[in-house]
Amino acid sequence: MKQALYAGLILGLVPLQVTGLNYVGIAGIRPDLTLIATFLIGFLSGGIEGLLMGVLLGCVQDLFSAGSLWVNLIVKGIIGLLAGLLGRHLANATPVTVCAFLFVLSVLSGSIAAVWIRAEDDLTVVPHIIQSVVLPQALFDATLGAVIYWLMPGRRREAEFGDDMALFGR
Amino acid sequence: MLRALSGTTRFILLLLALLLSVIFLLPKQTRSVLQTIGQPISAVVFLPIEALTTLEQSVIGLWQEYVALRHVREDNRQLRRDLDGLQRQNSDLRESAVAAQRLGSLLEFKEQFVPHTVAARVVGRDSTNWYSSVILNKGDRDGIQPEMGVMTSAGIVGRVVKTGPFSSIVLLVTDPHNAITGIIQRSRDEGIVEGTFQGRARIKYLPLLASIRVGDIVVTSGLTGGFPRGIVIGTVLTMQKEEGELFQSAEIAPQADLSKLEEVLIITVPRSLEAQSDVKSK
Repeated sequence: MKQALYAGLILGLVPLQVTGLNYVGIAGIRPDLTLIATFLIGFLSGGIEGLLMGVLLGCVQDLFSAGSLWVNLIVKGIIGLLAGLLGRHLANATPVTVCAFLFVLSVLSGSIAAVWIRAEDDLTVVPHIIQSVVLPQALFDATLGAVIYWLMPGRRREAEFGDDMALFGR
Repeated sequence: MLRALSGTTRFILLLLALLLSVIFLLPKQTRSVLQTIGQPISAVVFLPIEALTTLEQSVIGLWQEYVALRHVREDNRQLRRDLDGLQRQNSDLRESAVAAQRLGSLLEFKEQFVPHTVAARVVGRDSTNWYSSVILNKGDRDGIQPEMGVMTSAGIVGRVVKTGPFSSIVLLVTDPHNAITGIIQRSRDEGIVEGTFQGRARIKYLPLLASIRVGDIVVTSGLTGGFPRGIVIGTVLTMQKEEGELFQSAEIAPQADLSKLEEVLIITVPRSLEAQSDVKSK
């Protein structure tokens, strides 16, 4: 069941991102569905699954973006791993905590991507990009992620954190 | 710590560490490998994109039909009255159409300026917020390659940066990562057209003595590979000349409406390249 859901996400999320989300964007800024999905998978099912799904979703996202073929692959992988680390420390996460974590991670991933993308040209524009793209997108991601989390049935499954506990020394 | 991990997890972590190392140590080689791996994935993921675009078009069509049906009875009466008059006009228009066809073939605009183009449909926008780009439904299999120019009848749109078997990504002229050589049509001063973060374009590196006016048309110079000479890029909105600077620049409003792109033309053989090959063959 889970594998089918993940396969569906890999095949369906990026098409939805490039077509349907054009209608919900504000001033050209749209939420990043792959980032939200990666975060929630890592947060709920552990860092390893988050990392793997982050890499796969990031890879597909890179194929349909004008940028390099590995920026999202790496950034989304890291987000999945960090989400797993955060999820491990929270016994009772609420939509508000999910919103806060997702906002921080979205800003972090956006800032990394902005520096990466502009590194060869002009780094002086990075603060402007953070202000005009990263922060609005993070707000969008955090809100949408919190709503999805709130709507999800049976949010936490502690048993699936076995490998993560070992990985992070607990 | 690592001993406590299961074999599969250890293998996954090792594989990812290896992948990261390879990406950082051999970026160029990694790009080509990822591109090869990405081709079949891109082909599979493109199917839902096509399906969603078709669905989107159907929903828009249904909505428009519903709106149109609301006043259909009144329209029907009016249309019947109009029909008689239109039938008379129809025979006149047939005559005019034949004349227009004849004049159109005389103009031969397409053959003169852009001889080889492939029509493509816009099926999506960039999957991130980082680039101003669109996804087209034509790719490798239709002969599309990176660096090919893309235009509409109004003006240039951008250039192809990535291709998959059935799709290609076009970086719009308003993206800050795009650079095309352009000239001011009136004064023939040359500069580089780059996108801005405000969704417009800017022609940079114009000589200080260049004469530019608001409303001047900027066209392609034909020096960059993907575009023939003389395709409209946009109109000058404002000029910028700062003290102590060696060059001046001007902000341009793109001629093509890049927010409402539906169909575009991909220039498969730019005129400049074609001219070169003609000279060689002669």
